[in-house]
Amino acid sequence: MNRLADQHLSNPLREGLATRAAPQPCTVVIFGATGDLTMRKLVPALYNITADGEMPPGVAVVGFARREKTDEQFRTEQEETTRKFSRQQVRDDVWKQFGNSLFYHQSEFHDPDGYKRLVDRLDKLDQERGTGGNRLFYLAVAPDQFEAILKNLKAVGLNKGKDGGWARVIVEKPFGTDLPSARELNRVVRTAFSEEQTYRIDHFLGKETAQNILVLRFANAIFEPLWNARYVDHVQITAAETLGVENRAGYYEGAGALRDMVQNHLLQLLCLVAMEPPTDLGADSVRDEKVKVVRSLRHFKESEVAEHVMRAQYSAGAINGKEVPAYRAEKNVNPESQTETYVALRMHVDNWRWAQVPFYVRVGKRLPKSGTEISVHFKKAPSVLFNKDTPVLDQNVLVIRIQPDEGISLRMQAKMPGTSFRIQPVKMDFHYGTSFGKASPEAYERLLLDAMSGDATLFARRDEVEEAWAFIDTIEHAWAAKKNAPPLLFYPAGSWGPEEADELLAGEGHAWRRL
Amino acid sequence: MATAVENPAPFSGGMPVEIGKIERELKKLWEQSGGATTRASLINLAVYSEAAGSLAKNTELLSRLTESNACRAIVIRSEPDAKENRVEAWISAHCHVSKAGSKQICSEQLSFRIEGSSMALLTNVVFSHLDSDLPLYFWWQGEFHDPMDPQLFAWVDRLIYDSQSWNDFDAQMRRVEIAQEEAKQRVVLCDLNWTRIVHLRLALAQFFDCAEPEAQLSGITGVEVEYAPGFRSTAVLLLGWLAAQLKWQAAEPSRNELRFISGDQSVPALLNETDGQPISRFVLRRGATEFCVLHAPDADLLDVTVFEEGAPRMHQLMPAGENDPAVLLEEELTRGGPHRVYLRAINCVRSLL
Repeated sequence: MNRLADQHLSNPLREGLATRAAPQPCTVVIFGATGDLTMRKLVPALYNITADGEMPPGVAVVGFARREKTDEQFRTEQEETTRKFSRQQVRDDVWKQFGNSLFYHQSEFHDPDGYKRLVDRLDKLDQERGTGGNRLFYLAVAPDQFEAILKNLKAVGLNKGKDGGWARVIVEKPFGTDLPSARELNRVVRTAFSEEQTYRIDHFLGKETAQNILVLRFANAIFEPLWNARYVDHVQITAAETLGVENRAGYYEGAGALRDMVQNHLLQLLCLVAMEPPTDLGADSVRDEKVKVVRSLRHFKESEVAEHVMRAQYSAGAINGKEVPAYRAEKNVNPESQTETYVALRMHVDNWRWAQVPFYVRVGKRLPKSGTEISVHFKKAPSVLFNKDTPVLDQNVLVIRIQPDEGISLRMQAKMPGTSFRIQPVKMDFHYGTSFGKASPEAYERLLLDAMSGDATLFARRDEVEEAWAFIDTIEHAWAAKKNAPPLLFYPAGSWGPEEADELLAGEGHAWRRL
Repeated sequence: MATAVENPAPFSGGMPVEIGKIERELKKLWEQSGGATTRASLINLAVYSEAAGSLAKNTELLSRLTESNACRAIVIRSEPDAKENRVEAWISAHCHVSKAGSKQICSEQLSFRIEGSSMALLTNVVFSHLDSDLPLYFWWQGEFHDPMDPQLFAWVDRLIYDSQSWNDFDAQMRRVEIAQEEAKQRVVLCDLNWTRIVHLRLALAQFFDCAEPEAQLSGITGVEVEYAPGFRSTAVLLLGWLAAQLKWQAAEPSRNELRFISGDQSVPALLNETDGQPISRFVLRRGATEFCVLHAPDADLLDVTVFEEGAPRMHQLMPAGENDPAVLLEEELTRGGPHRVYLRAINCVRSLL
C-alpha cells in the first residue's frame, strides 16, 4: 500500500465511499501538447475524470509545446477535439471549469530558458490553485526528445516536488527499440527521476478486461486449480485488426508488429495469464510476479527463430468488401519494405506451472476482423466413455475478450436432444455490455488517476521492460541477419495471415482459434 | 428504448398469464423472439407497493433501470383491504439495445396484483418466481407493517426502502430489526434516503483527503444545512453520518438546531428549511475556513468550494445525482457494500429521525 492510499484510508469521511486512493491536487504538464495523443486521449481523459467528479480541486494542466499559442487558443483547440473524442458528451458548465484549468507554455524542448519560465509558471499555479508543489510530467513525445526534456527538468529542479510535494513522470511507449536503447532510455530517465517516480504507460493494462484477468483468476476458486500444465493444453493470444498502417507509416516502418505490439501489449497480457498469485495487490507485488514470467520465457537461439516465429506482410486484398492496397503500396512506406505487419510466435514459459504448455501469440494488420482476446485451451477429456469411439470432442476453451465486446466465454460439451448420445459444443457467454450497462472509463482515465494517486500497479517497471526487450531482441537479430534470415512471408489483406503460421501450431495438433 | 412485449388490458404493462404457467409463458416469449434478443439477469429484483397505480409506475421505472441493470423483476401491487381475494399476473420484457450496438438485451418482468387475504401468498409468489442462484433484492415501497414474514426476509439479500417518507423512523426500523432477528439472517439494509446523500458525502469527504485529515476534522466548529420541505430526515441522516464518523455525540435538539459534542467542544448544527433540492446547502466551518457544498435548483452538479483566509479559493463541480427513484436505485445497485457506515449514522441520530 502506498503512502497516499494510507492517507486516503485515514480520512474517516471516506469510509464506505470509495476504495481507490483519491489523488492530491497537482499540476499535470504535458510535453507534446499539440500532438495527436494529447488531443485524442489525454485531454479528453482528464475532462472525463473531472466530469465524473474524481479530479481533485485545483488541478491544472499545462500544455508544453513548440508552437506559439495563447492559453485561450489552446483551450479552444482542446475543447474542439475533446468534444469530438470524449467518451461522454462535453457539458458546457463542466468544460467552463475544466477549460479554465488548461494553460499553454510555449518553448522548444531543448531551450533551458523555457524550463526556467516553466518553474515560475508552476510556482504561480501552486499559489493560485493550491496544487501544493505536486507535479506530474507526461512525455507525450517521441523518445528522442526525452533526454532534452528530462535534462532540463532536472536542471531547474522540477524533478523534485516543491515544499513537500511530489514529482512524477509518465513515459509513453515505445520504451526503446531494442534492449540497448531501452537501457539507455531508462538510464536517461533515471538521471532525473527515480524508479518510484517513473510511470511507463501501457494503455492495454488500463483496459477493464485486462484488469479483469486478475479478478477472474484470483477472485474465483474454480479456475486456479486448473490453471497449469496439468490441465491446460495451450494458450492463444490474438490481437487482430482490420486497419492497415494508416498514417503511422513513419513510425511503423521502423518498428513493425513485433516491436509495436508484442514487446509491450501482448507480453503484458501473457504475464497476466501466466503469473503466480501476488502476495498482495501492491504495485511491486504484482509487478514482481509479472517480471518472473518474462524471465521464464524460453529464449530462442537465433538459429531457432524461424522454427518458432513467423513474420509476414500484407499484400493487396480486400477488407469489408473493399479492395485495399499492399503494405508496400501504402503512403510513406518503402516499396521494398521488410517490415512485418503480422507476426506469430510459439512461446514457452519455463517454470513449474507452465512446463511444456505452448503459448501461441499472433498479431496482425489487415486481418478479416478486429479483436484482441486470450483463449485458454484445456486438455481433452480422456478417451473413454463419450470420447472413446469418436475421439474428436472439442476442448474446453475459456476465452477472455479484451476488445471489442469485452467479456468471457467458456466452451463445453453438451448432449444434443434426442434418444442417442450426440454431443455438441456449447458456449457459456458473459458480455460486459450485456451484464453491466455502465460504460467503462477509458484506459487513459484510469491510468492518469493512478499516476496522480501514486499507484504504479498498472505501469511497467524498468526490469519488465528490459527483460521483454531481451526476449524480443533475439528475434529481431535473427531477422536482421545477412545470412539465413527467416523469410518475410506475405498474406493477402483480409486473410488470417500466412499459411506457415498455421503450421506453427499444426505440428502439435493445434489450430488458431477463429475469432 | 424499452419495448413491452404485449399490451393487453387491464394492466397495460404486460401479457396476462395464469400464475402456474408463468415460466412456460416466459419460455414461449423468448422463443417468439427468434433468438434476436439476449435475456440477461444479474439479480432478482422484487418491488412491493400498496399504492394505487404502482404497477404502471414501477414498470416505467424498471424500463429505465434495466438499461444498465439486467435483472428479473418481480413487481407486486398489493391491495390487502380489497374485498375479493384474487391474484393476477402479467409477464413482459424490457429490451434495450446494448452498448456494443447490435444486440437487444432483455430483462424479464413478472407483475402481480394481490388482493385481499391473498396477501398471505406474497412470500410464495416471490419465491416461486426467482431466477435461481441470483441474489434477491427486495424493494419495499412505503411503510412496513406487522407482521413481517420472517420466511421472506430469510432469503432477501438486500432490503431496499426509502426512509424519507416514513412517519416514524424508529418504529419502522424496529420492525425491520425484529424481522431480521426472526429470520436469523443479516439482511443488508439499503435506504434510498442514504443513497440520496451519497454525492454530498463524496463532496464533503474529498475536502479532507489530505495528509492529516483527523487534525483538520477535529477542528470543526459548526455546521449548516439547508433542506427542502419533506427532507428534514435526509438532512438529519447526513448530520448523523458526519457525527458518527467523527465520533461526535448528539445532544438535546431543538427544531432548528441540533447540537453535537466533540470532545469537550459543542458543535452546533443549524437546520434551515428552504425550497430547492433535498439538500441545497451544506457548510462545515473550521474557524474562519468554510467548506461549502451547494446544489442549485435544477442543477445536476454540486458546486464545491473551500474559503480559507489567505489561501486560494478552491472551487470545483462534482456530480450531484438525482432525486429520482430509478436513479437512486441504480446508484444503490452500483455501489453495493454492507452499509456499516449507514447503521452507525442512524444509530447516532435515530431518535431525531
